[in-house]
Amino acid sequence: MANGVYLGSQYAMIALGLTLIFALMNVLNFAHGQMYVIGGFVTYTFYGQWGVPFVLALFMSCITLAIVGALIERYLFAPVIKGSAREESTMLLAAGIAFLLDALILLIFGEKQRGVPKIVDGVFNWDFRLIMPYDRILICVLAILSIVAFIALMQYSKTGRALRALAQDRTAAQLMGVNVDRYSMIGFALGAMLAGLVGGLLVTITGVNLGMGGPTSIKAFMMVMIGGAGVISGAIWGGFILGFMEAFGLAYLSQYGDITYLLIFVSLMIFLAIRPQGLMGKPWG
Amino acid sequence: MTALIQVKDVTKKYGGLIANNAISFDVAENEILSVIGPNGAGKSTLFKMIASFTPTTSGEVTYQGERISNLKPHIVARKGVVRTFQETTIFKSMTVRESVVVAQHLRAKASLAGYFWGSKTAKDDVTAFEKYADELLDFLGMSEISNEQASNLPQGSLRALGIAIGLATDPKVLLLDEPFAGMNHDETMNMVNLVRSVRDERGVTVMLVEHDMPAVMNISDRIVVLNFGEKIAEGTPSEIQNNEKVIEAYLGSVDDEIGM
Amino acid sequence: MLNFSKTQIFGVAAFLAVVFVGVPLFIAATGRSDFYFTLTSVALLAIASAGVWLTFYIGRINIGQGAFALVGAYVSAILVVKAGWSFWISLPAAGLFAALIAVLIGLPILRLRGVYFAMITLVLTQVATLTALALPITNGAKGITNIPLPGAISIFGIPLVPDFSTLENSRMAFYFTATILMVITYAALYRLVNSRLGHLCRSMQQNEELASSIGVNITYIRILIFAISSFFGGLGGAMFGSISQSVYPATFVVKDSVDFMLNCFLGGLGYVFGPMLGTLVLYFGWDLLFEFGKYQMLIYATLLILIIRFLPNGLLSVRFGKGGGK
Repeated sequence: MANGVYLGSQYAMIALGLTLIFALMNVLNFAHGQMYVIGGFVTYTFYGQWGVPFVLALFMSCITLAIVGALIERYLFAPVIKGSAREESTMLLAAGIAFLLDALILLIFGEKQRGVPKIVDGVFNWDFRLIMPYDRILICVLAILSIVAFIALMQYSKTGRALRALAQDRTAAQLMGVNVDRYSMIGFALGAMLAGLVGGLLVTITGVNLGMGGPTSIKAFMMVMIGGAGVISGAIWGGFILGFMEAFGLAYLSQYGDITYLLIFVSLMIFLAIRPQGLMGKPWG
Repeated sequence: MTALIQVKDVTKKYGGLIANNAISFDVAENEILSVIGPNGAGKSTLFKMIASFTPTTSGEVTYQGERISNLKPHIVARKGVVRTFQETTIFKSMTVRESVVVAQHLRAKASLAGYFWGSKTAKDDVTAFEKYADELLDFLGMSEISNEQASNLPQGSLRALGIAIGLATDPKVLLLDEPFAGMNHDETMNMVNLVRSVRDERGVTVMLVEHDMPAVMNISDRIVVLNFGEKIAEGTPSEIQNNEKVIEAYLGSVDDEIGM
Repeated sequence: MLNFSKTQIFGVAAFLAVVFVGVPLFIAATGRSDFYFTLTSVALLAIASAGVWLTFYIGRINIGQGAFALVGAYVSAILVVKAGWSFWISLPAAGLFAALIAVLIGLPILRLRGVYFAMITLVLTQVATLTALALPITNGAKGITNIPLPGAISIFGIPLVPDFSTLENSRMAFYFTATILMVITYAALYRLVNSRLGHLCRSMQQNEELASSIGVNITYIRILIFAISSFFGGLGGAMFGSISQSVYPATFVVKDSVDFMLNCFLGGLGYVFGPMLGTLVLYFGWDLLFEFGKYQMLIYATLLILIIRFLPNGLLSVRFGKGGGK
């Protein structure tokens, strides 16, 4: 149960970033998992290697990813979206970027599994009914706080309103005086930043390695499909649902081998057959 | 007058919203029947239910005594009740002639495998389709644009293409969704004549949903009026023009919707 | 309609000549028999890519072909190793089994469109890998190894295909088998696209609602096409397993699924022979970049991005105008 909350909060953050980018640009960001890995490595470098305080290292992860996201949007996605006859080209581009980031990670950070020292020691033990290391609890709380902060940003700030308008109707937003190009870039940067933040948080627990990118993207796709693409509440629901299913599956089904994901996938298919638009989505939005 | 299509107590609810409430009327063979009403009166929803593009909440639609509501759209189309679309729902990157050829696939005698191997029947089919496509386009006055790509056509021709695609399936009943929308007077009159000739020369029963009142009065044998999901009147154009409920419904709404 | 133009016939003849005569001569002259392996791989991947291309033809972005290739590879391997079937019977069986799976999975997921379908097919590949790890019959991570080479075929005592293990140069035999399969696949694809089914597919690709209003049974055609597509995937995968004489859960992974999709995009979606060209370019590009060692991926990805950035509609869009196939 506690593991479900913990996994769910991480997943929800990943899904949020992906869904934000999807809502704004109608782009399926294959490179999302890679961005998450970069976030992990940046925090590792600053905190684990150079001894910079953890919070500052986390902040550096966010900044790096925001810049990477903004550059990718500005120089790659935006021109391809304008110039291509088919919208599918962006998917191809996203795949190319995923490969590119993978290559860059390999060159810069190497292929070794990297971990950092624990940020807090000790284990929370409630009568042996609930045992959880403190660092997991801390990360979980931080993740939930970030989600709350993100929602607050989307709801109440000027940027958030502009982004929501953009996601709903590009043309209308433009007519209302929203600078579409600028906010697309901000939105993409924000989505990438979320990925970087989760990466930075998780490096303290699971560590980080090159091969994590692809599977993370796939999990993020599943969450987004559960919740409904392009819907913020959907991404959060999807993240927590997948987190819980995985936690339960690993706890109770592990003796049958690795069938948790098979079960999750089958249930996802049945679910989508009944409700193709996901929990919160509009039909083929 | 025998009823070809019977709409019986058809109701559609979206959540708490009632789009159509217990609508009933008959459509006779070879007639042109229009469904009119202010915006949001539930005309399009009714059409979708007749063509089985959306299920009814209760009630049913029959064609020659057989139920056609709550089936799959392609099955209804195969029975001979075919709809056209309101907007520019077309096969964008096909030419006019290709679209009309594809639309005739229901009449194919050869199997899909036959086509794959290029059997004799399949070749005959293709020849027949192409010949009929040219005839049909000639009949609709579209021969000159038959090799144009659909995405390049002006709006009026698109509407005609929609009807051509519908007609190519050889329907008994054609459901036209706002065939005159956005047309000027001359274009509307051309379309009115076209629809009438479809009925007169091809024996197709026509149902249409429309805003354009003069055109509707001109073309229809009978009219069904909807308002807020309810049927408020049914009758010949002159009966409808003098029906108090209808006048009230229209005066109560914005003028431009009457189209006069 | 079999009215090919002269240039078309010439093009096809030239292509066949290069594939069946030119390449063997070239390899004999240069002694680079490793080329056989490379080109065999290209041919097999091109078969799987043809399937992906076909799903594009009904307007679905399919990033799940790796799953069906994996299914095909395992089915063939299991039939040959555990049930002792001849490879030549296991090959169509693998394709059919993949098609059967496609029907079962396709029923729910083909209702999805656009990005949703793309996402779920991508997930499918990952699930196929995980399933292969979990099931007992697939031997988990150890995979199935030591798959015997294809045996001989003879009808009424006339040998049609020799036993591959007795051959001096089994690479060449595989090369011919794979290319013949590829030629058949693309010929079938070409016929299909230019027959009535192809026209119906095009109508669905452009507008499913209108297609169903003219009486096209869109559900049926979607499933049919997805099954054919997966048949190609299973076929390519099975043959691939036989050549490498082993199958692992990682034989086809997400990256392969993405590659199949890239092959189609790169070759151009408007051309039947696009995926073949795309596969060739992508595979050879990757191989050539091997010289650059650790920068291989970086250069590859950069080139890929540049191509998309400046040629968004595929490679063939430069060489031909609109229309004309090969």
